[in-house]
Amino acid sequence: MAFLELEDISKYFGRTTAVDHINLAVEQGEFLTLLGPSGCGKTTILRMVAGFEVPSEGVISLDGDDITSRAASKRPMGMVFQSYALFPHLTAEQNIAFGMSIKHLPKEQIKRRCTELLELVGLGDKGRSYPHQLSGGQQQRVALARALAVEPKVLLLDEPLSALDAKVRVSLRNEIRRIQQQLKMTAIYVTHDQEEALAISDRIAVMAKGRIEQLDQPEEIYSNPRTVFAASFVGSSNQFQGVLESASQGLCNVGSQLLHVPATTALHDGDAVLVLVRPEEVMLQEGTAASDADTDHGDNHIAGVIELRTFLGPFTRFHVRVNEQTTLTADIPSQQARDFFVAQHLVMTFPSEACQVLPLDMSEVKLVEQAETEAV
Amino acid sequence: MSQSGPSNITARATADVYTRPDQPGRPSRKAGRGFSLSKVVLILVVLYLVVPLGAALAFGITSGSRIDFSGLQRTFSNPDFGQTLLTSLELALATTIIMIVLVTPTVYWTHLRLPRARPLLEFLSLVPFAMPAIVLSVGLLQEYSGTSGPLINILSLGFVPFLNNTFNIINTPPLLVCAYVIIALPFVYRAIDNSLRSINTTVLTEAAYSLGSGWWRTFLTVILPNIWPGVISAALLTFSTVMGEFTLATLFTIYTFPIFLNSVGQNDPHQAASLSILSFLFTLICVLAIIVLVRFRRGGTGGIGGQVEITGTR
Repeated sequence: MAFLELEDISKYFGRTTAVDHINLAVEQGEFLTLLGPSGCGKTTILRMVAGFEVPSEGVISLDGDDITSRAASKRPMGMVFQSYALFPHLTAEQNIAFGMSIKHLPKEQIKRRCTELLELVGLGDKGRSYPHQLSGGQQQRVALARALAVEPKVLLLDEPLSALDAKVRVSLRNEIRRIQQQLKMTAIYVTHDQEEALAISDRIAVMAKGRIEQLDQPEEIYSNPRTVFAASFVGSSNQFQGVLESASQGLCNVGSQLLHVPATTALHDGDAVLVLVRPEEVMLQEGTAASDADTDHGDNHIAGVIELRTFLGPFTRFHVRVNEQTTLTADIPSQQARDFFVAQHLVMTFPSEACQVLPLDMSEVKLVEQAETEAV
Repeated sequence: MSQSGPSNITARATADVYTRPDQPGRPSRKAGRGFSLSKVVLILVVLYLVVPLGAALAFGITSGSRIDFSGLQRTFSNPDFGQTLLTSLELALATTIIMIVLVTPTVYWTHLRLPRARPLLEFLSLVPFAMPAIVLSVGLLQEYSGTSGPLINILSLGFVPFLNNTFNIINTPPLLVCAYVIIALPFVYRAIDNSLRSINTTVLTEAAYSLGSGWWRTFLTVILPNIWPGVISAALLTFSTVMGEFTLATLFTIYTFPIFLNSVGQNDPHQAASLSILSFLFTLICVLAIIVLVRFRRGGTGGIGGQVEITGTR
């Protein structure tokens, strides 16, 4: 039995289903991230684990104990909120001491632990500062120390970095991961930022519409997405809708041409599929027509014109117009990107192994479009 | 006595303009130079408030063309002076304590558990404004005189018949306190509701829960210290309203300080004038003492309004 288990958990708000029969098992010391767009139910799950919401159905158990209906104040959880939620009338040290004083720990022990935790989060000299005297990043560090002070069995983090600027976000997420590993703390982290999730998680649960689309290690989520939604939400990808011409030979008709894809036994000839190619798998070759390229080696070649060139530091992103409806994206290391310019005709090349073929589910495509619209 | 929020904001904004460093290409405005319109308005307002008080004081301590303190001496030697002042003080304190103890946790609970009921509570809190004192007193006296109908018994969840059968509260200070609780509801509800809106009540509560704190501890140690200025505002408004309330006390035939003031004024206008000044000073001292106490207590935090804001007037 896993350390923290959610069995068949559902949550309804009136007629709205926020969480739809979720099963989730978190191992001790694991850092699990719930990743998804707004309204996918990730925060509701976290709030049910914390005890702020009661599940409509299902059981939550921690270390073998059923805690489904246990009050939030009686659960051994520490929570870090998006808005920090520090008590404004208390200093950083008093905030950290709050939970320990409720447990009636000796004053010397509280004092010592406060000092340790302030050192742990790198705020050794800020103990006497009030929240309004601290920056956003510092406040969130204090909030983290406060949550850790009660020695929770599970640390819950609800989009803790969303209110911070980009640079602080990166450094603080690394800090959170370091502290979690140092203390071997079980943690559930909620975010809509896929980069954040990929960077710090042991496992990621990609969520949509109250369901878990895929639960896997970050590398697997990125390299082998199981659903169209997971593939689209995590990282960016070029997508081709088509029909599988030959599953055994790995040939897919995407309308304008045949694509070489990995051979599969999971799908059948004639199945509607979505072929996904990550932009970093695409290479650019100078040339004018796809017919120039050699397709015998199983590589795919698509001719197009560079429409937009965006320098992103280590790599440069090219938006290449293939036909009237389609624009494909290629990420090229910036040093190799110097030879390509806007309006240049070229051929995009990617190997068949770079293609991920997923059965096409139009409802998922709609879900992806909806998530993208919300993100905009 | 009363102070409105917007005028405070204007005053602060004006101060910001004067303290901001001069910007290039912009004419500088320095404090203390010239006579701006705002200063003229301020002086007029101060005169409007102070002149009647000064006139009352001058009238109270003069007799003809000379200064005469005999009016004040007669006031202090009148046994009703101390008695009525004490009665009013007791009524004001009782009302203030009941209001704060009753309303603060209720409004907090509503914020937390029944946010949808807030519009209803807001409406109910405004009803006393619309209700004339005579209607309130006649209604209360009728209900507590033992003639309350079955509908009232049901609507009050048995509270009215219970009080009627257990205590004789008709025309007693406790019933007057009940009436005062009703008329002070708008001040108290508004002040506390505004304070709870200004802090992130739900998230602070959840943070406290996650640290092992129960409802009452969270209310007393997390929420209350952060809405303290609002609570003090509510207390001040309730206290000063009750100290000066005349109509209900007359209808309940309770001899309070304002009634004493009125009866004295009918016979001796000089004494009445000096008494009204004394009453004003007494209330002012109470109010200032509480404000000073609040500022001293919250000296370090600064963040969530260390200022007492008066959020309602009548």
